[in-house]
Amino acid sequence: MADLPSQFWGGWIVAITVTTFVALAWFVIDVYRGKGGGDNEDMVWDENLREGAKPAPVWWFWFILALMVVSVVYVMLYPGLGTYRGALEWSQGGHIEQRFADYAQEFGEARARILSASTAALAEDEAAMRSAWRVFNNHCASCHGRDAAGQARRFPDLTDAAWQWGVDEAALDTTIRHGRIGVMPPWLAAVGEEGVAQLADYVIALSRGGGGDPAVAPGAALFQQFCVACHGADGSGNRQLGAPALNDTGWTYGGSRADVTATIAQGRNGQMPAFGGRLDDAQIRLLVAWLQAGAKIP
Amino acid sequence: MNWVSLHHRIERNAGLLIFGILLVSSIGGMVQLLPIVTGDSHAHPAPGLRPPTALELEGRDLYIRESCGVCHTQQIRPLLAEVKRYGPYSRSGEFAWDRPFLWGSKRTGPDLARIGGRYTDEWHRLHLLDPRSVVPASIMPAYPWLAEHRADRHGTIQARMRTLARLGHPYTDEQIAAAPGALDGRTELDAVIAYLQSLGGSMKGAPQP
Repeated sequence: MADLPSQFWGGWIVAITVTTFVALAWFVIDVYRGKGGGDNEDMVWDENLREGAKPAPVWWFWFILALMVVSVVYVMLYPGLGTYRGALEWSQGGHIEQRFADYAQEFGEARARILSASTAALAEDEAAMRSAWRVFNNHCASCHGRDAAGQARRFPDLTDAAWQWGVDEAALDTTIRHGRIGVMPPWLAAVGEEGVAQLADYVIALSRGGGGDPAVAPGAALFQQFCVACHGADGSGNRQLGAPALNDTGWTYGGSRADVTATIAQGRNGQMPAFGGRLDDAQIRLLVAWLQAGAKIP
Repeated sequence: MNWVSLHHRIERNAGLLIFGILLVSSIGGMVQLLPIVTGDSHAHPAPGLRPPTALELEGRDLYIRESCGVCHTQQIRPLLAEVKRYGPYSRSGEFAWDRPFLWGSKRTGPDLARIGGRYTDEWHRLHLLDPRSVVPASIMPAYPWLAEHRADRHGTIQARMRTLARLGHPYTDEQIAAAPGALDGRTELDAVIAYLQSLGGSMKGAPQP
């Protein structure tokens, strides 16, 4: 332990602590048992107020003596006297390691069960789904909302059927464990204001199944030129790139004309933080099962 | 020993009384503080720890200005429940560049020692401007003025960095010279977010506990 004092300071601590203790013990015992107390006839104030050094009641003496015994026992059992570790070998680091070992033992079996079960089986298990929801509430709800329906027109709805990065076990595990970065570049400079408006018209029509409408043909042409690389020719998206499907009714950043226009003109940067260092394997698996089953509040 | 005459002597000699008081009140400090102050375990930065950049330092000073430490702590205690919730417990080396310490003592809000990377910048932006927009049950006040003020309004960032350099922060002359440029065009909100995202990063991937 790097934080224990060095040899010199260890000796320093022991010397001062023991000297102070012995001096105090001697003082207390001498006041009660020796000839140290008594009145001081010299000190008289305001004619008749005498200042004495009489000892406190005798129960106080036994009380202070008991405290001294407890102190001696304490520094013998626990670290306190310099580099001496104490008879119990107690340390704060050892204490929490033991707590973690107990914890691992207590829940080891439950974890193994979660990790060996299929996500479909976990979704049927009510207790597991309640645990999953608690994990979600602790770690995910501040962005995705307590009902997992997304928030602030930024953080995606997890209760719908649309999954930008895929909903199979491997994809969800990667999303949670390593995070995702979804980038939509800004298009204002490339297509101009009119182009942005045409694209917005087309994309909104596409989401309502009206992509073939002649009224949005100019937008469709621009879409085929600029957007298909990520969103696909039919607007069905690309899960490799996290490009969302545009031929459904889900909108991460809002589906109003103003929102869609802003998305196309200025682009969007979506980021899912990595939770691999904060959640363990069993917790991630519970979340995967819960999300696959529709993220329902149990 | 005759304690009465000792008492008598001390009480009639102010110099002796002052010396006695200083001696007795210094014993605790000599045992508990001196070995730590002269020891070096606290002076070794944790692996991967770096002093705050100019923008993070500005954010840190804003964290102090807005009294964030009244409701938020920055110390994870070695207790199972805390490590499970916040991450590995805080080590002394992680505070090597904390002048002053912002440990705090009251958690009205959660601990922030490892808040870095937990949320995105965008989330922090929404949350600082209107906490209820992302956490409906939050009682945290909103800080809308952070977005309205530019960072380092009073142009003191270089003086602050030089002061810290004198205290031991390893800021180079180049870093201090580049500081105003790094803050140029940034808002106070940007600075606070940069600071929050830098917290606890040095322990990323550390084994639990």
